[in-house]
Amino acid sequence: MSLFEIAIILLSIFMIASAIISIWFKDLLASVIALAVMSLLLSLYFYILHAPDVAIAEAGVGACLTTAILIITIKSTKRMEED
Amino acid sequence: MNGDEEKMTVIVQTIAALLFPITLIFSFYVIMHGHLTPGGGFQGGAIGASAIVLLIVAYGVRNIEKRMKEENLSIFESLGGLIFVVVSIFGIFLATAFLANFLVGKAIFGQIPAWGEAPLNSGGVLPILNIAVGMKVIGGLSAVVMLLALITKEGER
Amino acid sequence: MKKIAFIVFFAFLLFASIEMREFGKPPSSVKEVFPNANYDVTMDDRIIGKYNASAEKWEYGAVEETGANNVVTSVVFDYRGYDTLGEATVLFTAIAGVMLLFGRERK
Repeated sequence: MSLFEIAIILLSIFMIASAIISIWFKDLLASVIALAVMSLLLSLYFYILHAPDVAIAEAGVGACLTTAILIITIKSTKRMEED
Repeated sequence: MNGDEEKMTVIVQTIAALLFPITLIFSFYVIMHGHLTPGGGFQGGAIGASAIVLLIVAYGVRNIEKRMKEENLSIFESLGGLIFVVVSIFGIFLATAFLANFLVGKAIFGQIPAWGEAPLNSGGVLPILNIAVGMKVIGGLSAVVMLLALITKEGER
Repeated sequence: MKKIAFIVFFAFLLFASIEMREFGKPPSSVKEVFPNANYDVTMDDRIIGKYNASAEKWEYGAVEETGANNVVTSVVFDYRGYDTLGEATVLFTAIAGVMLLFGRERK
């Protein structure tokens, strides 16, 4: 088993775990952060698969812009524990 | 109406102000070197838009919106699209077809790189199209995020 | 019925995954993909170009035709430029729609 396969298997496990965590959390802000972590791991995955263009686009759009839009939305509504 | 209550903490503001020029310079680097290294107009534009969005999240929309109108961002975006179409149409007159690479082998951008070299003035019209798409994406994405953040503050006014 | 459909689909997927080459490995030669090809260069040489060191020029590749080192950019902006124009049009239309909906009217 090469280092490449070990990295791919670990990345897949972490990605699925963070995706499950992001729908498991009741706190919306933590859920958004878990989604950003999943997107960042996905960009790392693209980089390992020799697609750095897609990796840069994924890191910019998925991990930053989507997170910012969701955080702006959450800030303008009430969070769960303040009800 | 002052926007002090929508700022985040001082730590976040300081880090955002420190990271903003670095991120913008990295975005210009990715756009300018789009024909040499991985990346290009869309990727660099997404990074630059994320720099502006970082400021919006840290300082609040209204404080940013005083300095940076979203109409100017929209004009910037349209200018990028105009450059793209005009350079594409020049391909009809100066070369064979629409979007033809009429600058390769010519004076300014036309150098063909030798093995192992990466000159910045290579690639024909590709750097110009990269800059046009980068302007489009920076202006467009940051204008959209700024408008979406403004519309959430609309009811509190 | 569902189990039969699942088994058939699973067999197809298993067959396809056995037939694939090693994960993440590019084809090393044109003959591996097109067995009847009459030239034997690697796929990278065919697409990116082959550098003739004695004549100091590129042969039959994207670098020779567009002058850009990054072949992905030369595909996105030159060979498939209409795709990029359509993508720019989509972005422009989306932003025009958002400006129409949410932009405040000025006097």
